[in-house]
Amino acid sequence: MSRLARIRAEATATYRTFLRRRTAVFFTFFFPVLLIVIFAGLVRTTSGSGGLFTEPTAYYVPAYLATVVLFTPLSRVGSTVARHREGNRFEKLSTTPLTRAEWLAAHTLVNVALIAAACAVLLVALLATGASFALSPWLAVLVPATSVAFCGVGAVIGSYADGQDGAIAASNGIALPVLFLSETFVQPELFPAWFRPVVDLSPLAYFARGVRAATYSGGDVTTNAAVVVALAVVAFAVGTLAIPWTE
Amino acid sequence: MTPVVVADAVEKAYGDTAAVDGVSLSVDEGEVFALVGPNGAGKTTLVRCLTGTTTPDGGSVELLGDAPADANDQRVGLLPQDFQPPDRLTAGELVGYYAGLYDDARDPAAVLSDVGLDADNDTWYGDLSGGEQRRACVAAALVNSPDVLFLDEPTTAVDPAGRRALWRVFEELAESGTTIFLTTHDMAEAERLADRVALLADGRVAATGTPRELVAEHGGRPRLVVELPEETETAPDVPGFSPEVTREGVVFSDVAPEGIGEVVAALDDAGVDFEALSWREPTLEDAYLALAGDVEGVEVQR
Repeated sequence: MSRLARIRAEATATYRTFLRRRTAVFFTFFFPVLLIVIFAGLVRTTSGSGGLFTEPTAYYVPAYLATVVLFTPLSRVGSTVARHREGNRFEKLSTTPLTRAEWLAAHTLVNVALIAAACAVLLVALLATGASFALSPWLAVLVPATSVAFCGVGAVIGSYADGQDGAIAASNGIALPVLFLSETFVQPELFPAWFRPVVDLSPLAYFARGVRAATYSGGDVTTNAAVVVALAVVAFAVGTLAIPWTE
Repeated sequence: MTPVVVADAVEKAYGDTAAVDGVSLSVDEGEVFALVGPNGAGKTTLVRCLTGTTTPDGGSVELLGDAPADANDQRVGLLPQDFQPPDRLTAGELVGYYAGLYDDARDPAAVLSDVGLDADNDTWYGDLSGGEQRRACVAAALVNSPDVLFLDEPTTAVDPAGRRALWRVFEELAESGTTIFLTTHDMAEAERLADRVALLADGRVAATGTPRELVAEHGGRPRLVVELPEETETAPDVPGFSPEVTREGVVFSDVAPEGIGEVVAALDDAGVDFEALSWREPTLEDAYLALAGDVEGVEVQR
């Protein structure tokens, strides 16, 4: 049986398990839509006043997509790895032909598919609010690559966190500051000058800049996409090595 | 016979605690080998060393002629202790999932039928009873028809009927040539299934042999237990015998079945009234208790 067949078996089980967890489905598909309803539909701010949510809705497209691209892989892969550790599932899998790279590839594929579907729902919801932005083909690079990167980070979190609760707490503890400090919901000029270089350390900042350039403001997408793809490769490799396949 | 599993002076410690301390053993092709021992004796750690899911600190392990990491994983099956597979899959999907990881696997429905779960193919794993879940896990370990199968406490939480159904499955596997390495706390299970049994205590092998050999060497002698109408602290004076008083009653040791009448006659002659007699041969459990009942007192054979 080929490597692809093993990945398919693992991915099929993962996909089925996800669809049968209502909480996971809610937080992947509907929670981000709630954010759009609240901040793009209900909140009224004056453009140009210099505060939060004062840019046109299209400016925040990367921010809404980031809620899915960041939180879903971090929390899902993190808690899945922790659950596998607690249930001795890696012990079982390590005696099968499946490798840990194949395992992470299967879980990453499922997450990318779910995130792509959730992003499609978000984009439709944003269009429904009257936002005006371009549906750039670059989204087909930036969304999957960023998802892969955070799947790798999620695998690292799940490998070292203290159980499922610890993995979820750690992933939220990392995701919340990253979400708000990566040029997503908060414009860079709202940060103090000394802090702005710190934003460059966030992988999500390159995603936000790339998506914003591709869908709204124009500018250099290629460089940001290249950084995200490179980070995805590195994070996947590190995540693979971190998985506690054997004790 | 070709050895399929070989451990040579295997050591594994967690911090200052030696979980496995110089264990050497060999399991031949087609053999059923049972590892018994108290909780914390190192059984699961040894299974992990043998399957390559942990790396020993010292010594060497061979599985199917190779280091465990290099062994042909198409030919190995494992049921880990405390195994918790995904609970949102049906039993059929669960076994099918593991089948999909191998080049050649059995029909999941047929394997579920073998473990007595043919009616639960479409039941979510999480909705099965504890015993049924364990049987589904056994099915997942069997689905690739392994040449060597490691079962770490396979019948824990399984009811007596389910346990016997699993024993029949294991016996059929053994008859077909599958090598089985089994850990268990159930001495009846070890005695029924195993060709050889090793007792592990404090990470060391305290005794190895066939169940018959272990019983003969460590199980004591056949016993006739006499229940008197009233409890007594002193054994009755029965000429020709030296009974002892235990919690079971008055025990006459080393009495063969044909010698029971002789004891009864001697009790009558001595004027000893009794309410009941029971005779039994020593079992593997007697041998186990003699060896491991007081772990501190186990004389370890390095």
